[in-house]
Amino acid sequence: MTTKQAGAPVVAFRGAVKDYGAVRAVDALDLEFTAGERVALLGRNGAGKSTSIALMLGLDEPTAGTVELFGGAPRDAVEGGRVGAMLQDFKPVSRITVGELVGFVGSAYPAPLPVAEVLELAGIAHLAKRRVEKLSGGQIQRVCFAVALAGDPDLLVLDEPTAALDVQARQEFWRSMRALTDRGKTVLFSTHYLEEADRNADRIVMIDRGRLIADGGSAEIKRTVGTGVVAFDAVDGTLPEGVAALPGVRTAEVRDGRVRLRTTDPDATTIGLVGLLTPRGLEVTQAGLEEAFLTLTSEASEASGAARTSGNPASVPAASASASAEKGFTR
Amino acid sequence: MSAGTAVVSRYVGLELRRTFRDLGFVIFGIGTPVLMYSIFTSVGDQDQAAGGWDVLAMVGMASYGALGAALTAGSAVAEDKANGWLRQLRVTPLTPAQVVAGRTLTGSLMVLPAVMAVLLTARLLNGVDLALWQWLALTGLLWLGSLPFTMLGIANGYLLSQQAANVTNVTCNLALALIGGLWFPLTEFPSGLAAVGEWTPGYLFARLGHDTVAGHAPGLVTVAGLAAWLLLFGAYAAHGYRRAGRRA
Repeated sequence: MTTKQAGAPVVAFRGAVKDYGAVRAVDALDLEFTAGERVALLGRNGAGKSTSIALMLGLDEPTAGTVELFGGAPRDAVEGGRVGAMLQDFKPVSRITVGELVGFVGSAYPAPLPVAEVLELAGIAHLAKRRVEKLSGGQIQRVCFAVALAGDPDLLVLDEPTAALDVQARQEFWRSMRALTDRGKTVLFSTHYLEEADRNADRIVMIDRGRLIADGGSAEIKRTVGTGVVAFDAVDGTLPEGVAALPGVRTAEVRDGRVRLRTTDPDATTIGLVGLLTPRGLEVTQAGLEEAFLTLTSEASEASGAARTSGNPASVPAASASASAEKGFTR
Repeated sequence: MSAGTAVVSRYVGLELRRTFRDLGFVIFGIGTPVLMYSIFTSVGDQDQAAGGWDVLAMVGMASYGALGAALTAGSAVAEDKANGWLRQLRVTPLTPAQVVAGRTLTGSLMVLPAVMAVLLTARLLNGVDLALWQWLALTGLLWLGSLPFTMLGIANGYLLSQQAANVTNVTCNLALALIGGLWFPLTEFPSGLAAVGEWTPGYLFARLGHDTVAGHAPGLVTVAGLAAWLLLFGAYAAHGYRRAGRRA
């Protein structure tokens, strides 16, 4: 029952679609994760992360397409004890101790880890005899992590494991996580903290409006988008003519009174720009994941409305550039 | 014992532990019927005691305790739905059938201490004297006969929010106890109300006990009537689970 196909990907989305009424939460997702990968599912609130995870865990059925775990139905993998999960919005189960809870969940799995070891891994060994409902938010979240680990599953799925945690608690959480991933588990976590994905995953899957918009290592994502940002004051608040066509420029937009050019070659872009006009308040910076994210999501929103503009995608029309500028403001 | 049965029994063990750590349940679920029995049988006309009032009240209050405990189990389902425990269970190897079976069994087992506490009080406080088989039959019948109420409570627990399930189950408890004559015999009721009361599940349930203390097996009408209520509430619980529990 557990092993359907040897060598099957741990997780496989094939054209997966999930509609809630008129809302398309997941839109034609194609993804495969292999054993031992640490994947971050990155997206804004409402991007479709939790829905994707619900499909993966068999909590929900796709409207179209398929989602498979270990080459079979997600329910079979879950019931076979190959999956451990930490769900979003964890609230404490009342009138039960940490040790009892972790011990019970582990006992439902075919080959659980010893409770003491799980609590040690999650950094809550000292809380074993405490009632779950009497713990702090950060402690409860670690208990949920321990619950996900208890059965020593092959695949760990963590839905926004650090949401609602303060910075210190987040750092402590990722320390425990790293100790665990050293054991060769496949781990998938969702987050809207770009930095977390950058630091703790070796593969980043970005989704927006239910669609896959980027997939790769954080370096690859930065390369796809452009490694630098050339910014200067927008004199009359509009995008100067010709800047989008400068060498290396991937996107051009006006945001907060500044023209921002994302580029694969900041040097060439800057030289070209100086030949074109006299920029004021010129600034050249390296793109972080935040920049990558903004670019990719605005590209995705342009692509969805791109039917009317059939042109070179590198030269962004002024209309859509200002559209993404508005998007920048609403964020 | 198969692996599946072992998982269910561990789940039931866990849930029972949670239940008996709930001071509210222990005090109100188990304590109230005992207290009410003690008061009902120690005040007023003591001559009535000779006429079997202490036995009558024992069956009524044990039934009332069973009814309350069974319905409370349903409110616990609403709590677990609200705090995400039911959803968390869905991402463990427990199958939905195991969870439902475990929940029902837990609810059913919660009834036993409520029944036994009243019987014990009757024996110790009022010296109620029954044959051993009667004590055993009484406990067993009130336990099994409470299943329709467990179903009703679980259905409410799945379908309603935690607050609403609580209120609904407490209301069901009081209404069914009153109209079923668990507090005051139906003979004290106006005849029209008494005629209706005789077909309510609370009354039929208590009849199991009254027949036992009278020394004979429950009548066919009682058993068939209660089975009909079990079917109805069971279907309601299945509906509740399909509607809300499966997606909890």
